[in-house]
Amino acid sequence: MEIVVCIKRVPFTQEVDLEIAPSQKDIVKEGLAFVLNEWDNYALEEAISLKERLGGQVTAVLIGSEEDEEVLRRALAMGADRAVRVDPGDVYLDVRGISKILTRVVKDMPFDLILTGAQADDTNEGCVGVMLAEELGIPHASVVKGIEVLDRTLRIRVELEGGTEEVSTIRLPALLTIQTGINEPRYVSVMGIRKAAKKELKVFSLEELGLDSESIKPDSIVERLYFPPEQGGAHMLTGDPATVAEKILKILKEKGVIQ
Amino acid sequence: MYTKGSEALFIPHWVFWLICVLSLGIFVRTIKRRITPLRQAQKDPRFNQWRLRISALIKDGFLQIRQPRYPFSGIVHLVIFWGFVILGLRSLQLIFYGLGIPFIDPFSTQGIWYRYAQLKDIFEVLVLLACLLSIIRRAIFRPSRYKGSSQLEAYLVLSLISFLMITDLAFDASHIMLQNSNVNTISLKLLSNFFKTFSPSELSYIFSISFLLHLLTFFVFLNLLPISKHFHIITALPNVFFKKLTKGSIKPARYGIQQLEDLEYLGIKQITDFTWKHILDFYSCTECGRCSDNCPANLSGRALSPKMLTLKLRDSLYSAFPIFKKASEQREVIGQVINQEEIWSCTTCGACERECPVFIEYIDKIVDMRRYLVEQGENPSTFNQVFLNMEKTGNPFGRPAQKRTEWIQNLEGIQVRILKKGDEVDTLFFVDSYPSFDPRSQSITLAIAKGLSMAQVDFGILGPIEKDSGHQVRRMGEEGLFQLLKEQNQKTFETIKFQRIITADPHSFNTLKNDYDLKVEVYHYTQYFLELLKGGRLSLKGMPKEGRYTYHDPCYLGRHNGIYEEPREILEKFLGIKLLEMKRSRDRSFCCGGADVGLWHEVREEERMAQKRIKMALEVGADYIITACPFCLMHLEDAIKTHGLEGKIQVVDLMELIISVC
Amino acid sequence: MKGPILALVEHRKGEIRDITYELLRKAHELSQRAGSDPICLLIQAPGQGLEAGLKGWAKKILVIEAKGCEVFNSELYKAYCLEALRTLEPFIVLLPHTPWGMDLAPALSVKAGLPLISDCVDIVLENGDPKAIRQIYGGKLYSQVAFRPSSTYLASMRPGSIQVEGNPGYETELLSFDTQTPIRAPSKTFEEFVETGQGDVDISQAPFLISIGRGIGDEERIQEVKDLAEKLGAILSCSRPIVDKNWLPKYHQVGTSGKTVKPKVYLALGISGAFQHVAGIKGSGTIIAVNKDKKAPIFRAAHYGVAEDLFTIVSALKAKIGG
Repeated sequence: MEIVVCIKRVPFTQEVDLEIAPSQKDIVKEGLAFVLNEWDNYALEEAISLKERLGGQVTAVLIGSEEDEEVLRRALAMGADRAVRVDPGDVYLDVRGISKILTRVVKDMPFDLILTGAQADDTNEGCVGVMLAEELGIPHASVVKGIEVLDRTLRIRVELEGGTEEVSTIRLPALLTIQTGINEPRYVSVMGIRKAAKKELKVFSLEELGLDSESIKPDSIVERLYFPPEQGGAHMLTGDPATVAEKILKILKEKGVIQ
Repeated sequence: MYTKGSEALFIPHWVFWLICVLSLGIFVRTIKRRITPLRQAQKDPRFNQWRLRISALIKDGFLQIRQPRYPFSGIVHLVIFWGFVILGLRSLQLIFYGLGIPFIDPFSTQGIWYRYAQLKDIFEVLVLLACLLSIIRRAIFRPSRYKGSSQLEAYLVLSLISFLMITDLAFDASHIMLQNSNVNTISLKLLSNFFKTFSPSELSYIFSISFLLHLLTFFVFLNLLPISKHFHIITALPNVFFKKLTKGSIKPARYGIQQLEDLEYLGIKQITDFTWKHILDFYSCTECGRCSDNCPANLSGRALSPKMLTLKLRDSLYSAFPIFKKASEQREVIGQVINQEEIWSCTTCGACERECPVFIEYIDKIVDMRRYLVEQGENPSTFNQVFLNMEKTGNPFGRPAQKRTEWIQNLEGIQVRILKKGDEVDTLFFVDSYPSFDPRSQSITLAIAKGLSMAQVDFGILGPIEKDSGHQVRRMGEEGLFQLLKEQNQKTFETIKFQRIITADPHSFNTLKNDYDLKVEVYHYTQYFLELLKGGRLSLKGMPKEGRYTYHDPCYLGRHNGIYEEPREILEKFLGIKLLEMKRSRDRSFCCGGADVGLWHEVREEERMAQKRIKMALEVGADYIITACPFCLMHLEDAIKTHGLEGKIQVVDLMELIISVC
Repeated sequence: MKGPILALVEHRKGEIRDITYELLRKAHELSQRAGSDPICLLIQAPGQGLEAGLKGWAKKILVIEAKGCEVFNSELYKAYCLEALRTLEPFIVLLPHTPWGMDLAPALSVKAGLPLISDCVDIVLENGDPKAIRQIYGGKLYSQVAFRPSSTYLASMRPGSIQVEGNPGYETELLSFDTQTPIRAPSKTFEEFVETGQGDVDISQAPFLISIGRGIGDEERIQEVKDLAEKLGAILSCSRPIVDKNWLPKYHQVGTSGKTVKPKVYLALGISGAFQHVAGIKGSGTIIAVNKDKKAPIFRAAHYGVAEDLFTIVSALKAKIGG
């Protein structure tokens, strides 16, 4: 099975105090660590597991700068067979632009299945995958939690709300956006990533793909970023742990959940 | 009498020659087969530092200064060992005598060889006594550390040795009596009363029989050596000679390979992925059990027993490279011979390596097996986030690097210099991750900063550009990640001028000193503060609280790096504390639980190591247990809390104690 | 005069989902400001009759009935929406940002050539132009986003972000619509719904929940919290990452893809407070949150907070209760 996985490199912002850049349109990225987007990690693992079971090849595709290549190397170390990076230069990209670039890259590749993460850790939009599918004219499903391969179709489980899942079959070639928890992504050691340096990683510029800033004009433009308004928030309980524990127990008693 | 020993034998001379040649032949074949896996194993450069190695051979090989750590069996073994050394020549004498080849006359009555004959007699009796005592001890007192060893083999060998002694004594005594010579040897003294009753022909019979039996026993024993635990008789001295000379460091992933990426895999997949020295280790194990007897993991009921690790690997090696049987195809180690639980149970405390009389190495083997597991992704999944955090943020918590200096906010009125590229400073204080981020460990860091400030030391920290030293990830098996962190830190060090590094944590100290390639001196704060105190740069006013104090030697300060006296000097000389010493102190200290695997993976055990250690402190009557390591502090305090011992005993950090009286 | 504000209905198993009313409420609000009409677009199976539940919520309800539409299907919905858009020429189209909505909105955007901004928590009009308000970085920051100039704007809304203040009470006109789209077998075929949330305990009925998140760190440490829950008589629940790792079964999960809970007290330990989780606890009486990171979003949703390591507090609580 020929599988293409589209991945993104995003800032690692757990516990980080984010700062808004002077332009107000982005965050200060200096000093931040960057990682593979969590949803994409699951998508990669799914693709590689499918390949290990059924044979075929996995291609990882990323839009980003040279620094972003490290997640492609990680993908190769996990088991992807080849990687493609598109360097967008300084062009402003929104989900529409990204999907147009990916379309240009992917449409000439042989594929049975395209996987993307359901959304990105940073922008949290969840659009690129389905936009790509629509551009390519292939069937798609979002927030997929399980994949079963039947001949030229897949039986998939989509995660809805409240614990409900929707089981459907979808014809290949298709695109699926992958939800977290579908599998357990494998760890790749630093050595594993170094070994993967031997695998193929091609880089394209926008010009080489026949694209310019006009053809990937954004549908949406960020005007400004700002911090959430302080809406009251929690009353913080302070003191040493024993004191805090007492306070908590007092609240529990007051609310009638303990004696 | 017989001029030729051949005439003394009952069997035809040519038969004896045949036996000799056959025995030797079998022996050589066996040895050759034992050498084969050594050839197939990995490289290990042990031919350096000849002077050190020869001195080790003398101290630990011949003088066996480790043996008396178990006093009774230690002395007994020394007797048997020296007996073998002395009596080796005797055996040769008798063989040549039997073959009819002129050599040293076994019946000298004067000169140096007479003196030798008297000496060997003394030793024969001593060895016989030693063997009998050992048999009794093994059978009646059943030392627990012998569990898991082949009892049959032990008794067999002890019996054979005893028999060798008895037959030679009888041979000698009967000869003297037949010759009616005036020589007076111990053998005569012992046996003359008994032999008096025999006629010359009977004595002659005894002479021949004991001669033959002695020689046959010798050949049997010789061939038994390489197929039993007594192979150590041949391999122990070489094993000591080739011992690991560096302390505290972990071996590289593979010797002799520059590009590790070219390797198919890292670590141990099959038995021949061990180095030849590790294989020699398997051969040299005497099954004494001293390692397991001191292993905190074993004593806490974890799956690991170092002795069984060695024996299982030895036996699987023997199956794959048999002497007489058909070779087994099975060469895989993990899962087949050793299970993951054993591998993750180890805290790398080094107690096993400190005890082993033949210097078998354990830590490198276990780390090599972990390397394989990590590369295959078969480590506990909780490690994955830790590894990722280390790579991305330079600390295991995933906290942003900028927050590495947050602890400074808790210092009132003290400036801490955060160094940048191109700066110059006298002392670099390498804080490392736990002392930077973990709230309890931060108190140690604060105390050190206070102390340095009071002593007016020109010091600085790296702050956000400091990466974790990597001591944890290296020992957990993520070698590539360790090399990355090491590279990053070393690059940073090169951009700053400093005279020395001091650390808060013994693990950081150990790694920077022994795993990194630094040209500058690395100290743990205890060493440095002792100097400050001695030099009067820091003065203490007042005394610590009244109480009974004991000191817990952290493994990576004490055992791995030999720093036992410096903390004691601070405590006794400068803080005026009269320390109570636990039974297990200095190099017999008992690990608190370790600073890596155990933090992120619950290993199945009967009792927590820290809990056992607290009990040891209570046993010696202490109210306070002092330690000089943030992980010891964490584990011991945790044990006190979990078992409701607050009020009975308290853990005190050495640096906090110093500051409390500044 | 601006085109109508169109809101798409999401329904499942014969019930209209709550998000629909949020969208309709927003459509009502926007239509008043834009000076146009709110229209509701309902795509259903013939005779399904869901329009009954929408009376009063919009000026008009455009009902498209087609075979195979009792369950959402992206291909069919896309085709019918496109027809509706061409006919109605709306100013703004509000879509649900739900798993189904995520499958539809981007495809519709590309097919129709209209700009889409997804996962909005609000839409505002600035000088007559719509601007979207979104959250990024898991809720740490807000972002104001503008559309490229267009005749129609598509926006998908995050469930739970719009206050439904009640039925605006329109004189609703029902419009039926004969679609011109030929019915074609879609490439995705529905088989069945499966409920995965069943288990030994129903957390949505529990009066006292102690909930764990990523902060628990290690599967084996869950036992420490289980012990505390037992001592306090609380039921154990968790956030998504715990279930993703298979450390607890699905029926313990609180959040949009898990269960919505309304306990008297919800004690959140080591939970960051991602909106999907918070959405599941909104109805709780008292929320107490414990998290090492004093900037964790959970503290915005909680009534009481403790910026401390959860294990320290768990130990302290156990010590106070004793035994």
